Amino acid sequence: MTALATAAEAEAEREPGARAGWVGALLGVALVAALIASVCLGSSDVPLGEVWSSVARGISGEEPVPGTRDLIVWQLRVPRALLAAVVGAGLGLVGTAVQALVRNPLADPYLLGISSGASLGAVAAIVLGAGAGGLLGLGLSSAAFVGALASFTLVWAMARRDGGFSPLRLVLSGVGIGQFLSGFTHYLVLQAGDDQQTHGVLFWLMGSLGGAQWSTLALPVAAVLLGLVVLLARARALDAMLMGDETAAGLGVDVARLRRELFVVTSVLTGVLVSVSGAIGFVGLMVPHVCRMVVGGAHRRLLPVAGLFGAVLLVVVDLVARTALPDQELPVGVVTALIGAPTLLYLLDRRLERG
Amino acid sequence: MRVAIEGLEVALSGRTVVSGVDLLAEDGEIAGLIGPNGSGKSTLLRTVYRYLRPHAGRVLLGGTDIRSLTPAASARLVAALPQERGSDFELSVRAVVAMGRTPYKRAFAGEDRADADLVTAALEQVGMAGAGGRRFSALSGGERQRVLLARALAQDPKVLVLDEPTNHLDVQHQVELLALLRAQRRTTLLSLHDLNAAASLCDRLHVLHEGSLVASGTPREVLTPELLAEVFGVRVAVVDHPLTGDPLIAFDHRAM
Repeated sequence: MTALATAAEAEAEREPGARAGWVGALLGVALVAALIASVCLGSSDVPLGEVWSSVARGISGEEPVPGTRDLIVWQLRVPRALLAAVVGAGLGLVGTAVQALVRNPLADPYLLGISSGASLGAVAAIVLGAGAGGLLGLGLSSAAFVGALASFTLVWAMARRDGGFSPLRLVLSGVGIGQFLSGFTHYLVLQAGDDQQTHGVLFWLMGSLGGAQWSTLALPVAAVLLGLVVLLARARALDAMLMGDETAAGLGVDVARLRRELFVVTSVLTGVLVSVSGAIGFVGLMVPHVCRMVVGGAHRRLLPVAGLFGAVLLVVVDLVARTALPDQELPVGVVTALIGAPTLLYLLDRRLERG
Repeated sequence: MRVAIEGLEVALSGRTVVSGVDLLAEDGEIAGLIGPNGSGKSTLLRTVYRYLRPHAGRVLLGGTDIRSLTPAASARLVAALPQERGSDFELSVRAVVAMGRTPYKRAFAGEDRADADLVTAALEQVGMAGAGGRRFSALSGGERQRVLLARALAQDPKVLVLDEPTNHLDVQHQVELLALLRAQRRTTLLSLHDLNAAASLCDRLHVLHEGSLVASGTPREVLTPELLAEVFGVRVAVVDHPLTGDPLIAFDHRAM
């Protein structure tokens, strides 16, 4: 009995945040393993040894050797696995930031219609012929950013009444506005009238990593790293926001300014991610939840862990999406929806139960 | 540290909620705000911890207008315990208390030894030592309030501002919390619903009615049947507390 009581006390003393180092290291190993698996496995499996030599040749800039699968490995699978990792990390970060911003663990850029706004922005730019070119896809990303910011602002205005949000009101506003914007996106893609319409609709509305190339990687990598730094610099203010605006103000946080900054950061990240991978749903919802349960809610530890876990998750999900069906590839957003929507329902149920 | 409020006026969405309030809390004094719901108590306190910006007038901390300080600088002087009760974000008790260090930390800075010691000491002071690893949202109302007070103490402020700190607490926890505040010996500005608690805790009371200050003074000066009838619309007798000698307000619950 006494031994049990002391054990319980010791357990209570232990901070969940203290685990973050181990969890981070573990996730790092998992990420490397997932990336390797993702490059080896696919429509045709490439043995590890062959992957190594292809990657070595790729890094040293040698020409691909005819008769090997250098092209598949170095030009398709490696960039795709890396894109999955970067987009997953970005979605984990955006989800964490958005949830703190609206003080609601049911939030996610996809559910709140931010991704839909970004998709519409990107598609509109393509149709108007403005976005296709531009340095590193900056044109497309800027249009997606504008769309993301506009839709986020709209959802915010809809959901905020009497100075507060009810979780249900926020999610319903987000879903409603998201559906409305997706309708436009759908229409624009079909009107564009090229022969890849169905592919376009799937890409922008469900998300896909199929367009991964080395050249599309730089912008999301830069955006995600920058986003991580900007958010980490505000980790304490984000913690304070979780308690409420008044608490944050009392702790010396300039709440109005922080909120504006978070609006911009989440919209920029969402815009960049959507412009390279379409609107992938639910990753931003699930990742912060799981990570909070493991390392606690304090953002200094939560943010890096959420980024790593998001990366692992999306690399694995993409591997599943590519290999689940024998002759066909599923859009990655289909798989995230299959896991994420039930998660949302479960969380919603739990929250409504508590009142 | 002395808190002086001068000519304070606050309007919320066009409606004047507090007007022309002058109020003084001397160094080390516990100043209580009393008044019916909607009389402007919370609004006044919110201007002290800078959640609201006054329309006119100013709040002076030891002679300095808080608006001339950065938000972090004034948060190093004033710690607030608003009525917010947090949310279910898996924050540990320790993480909540450590938030008190926010105004002292630069971006990216982690918790150092001194921070950790202050957090531990604050938890000990409120009788929550050893609870650091528990989930904040799983605590009872009384425990939560004590943890939030620990957060305010970890902020190491010169002035404590508390908005209805005893709300939703049972009698035992109310008594405990007030004893904790009394033991602090810091300049304290708080609003209280419970007039008897106010009478026993506060050095001076300030009565707000429809946004204006209608009386200030020691509890014995302020808590008169006439004033309480006028401001609260209740019939009361004020007697001496048989145990403490403080003024004791006995309500006539049958009067209409």
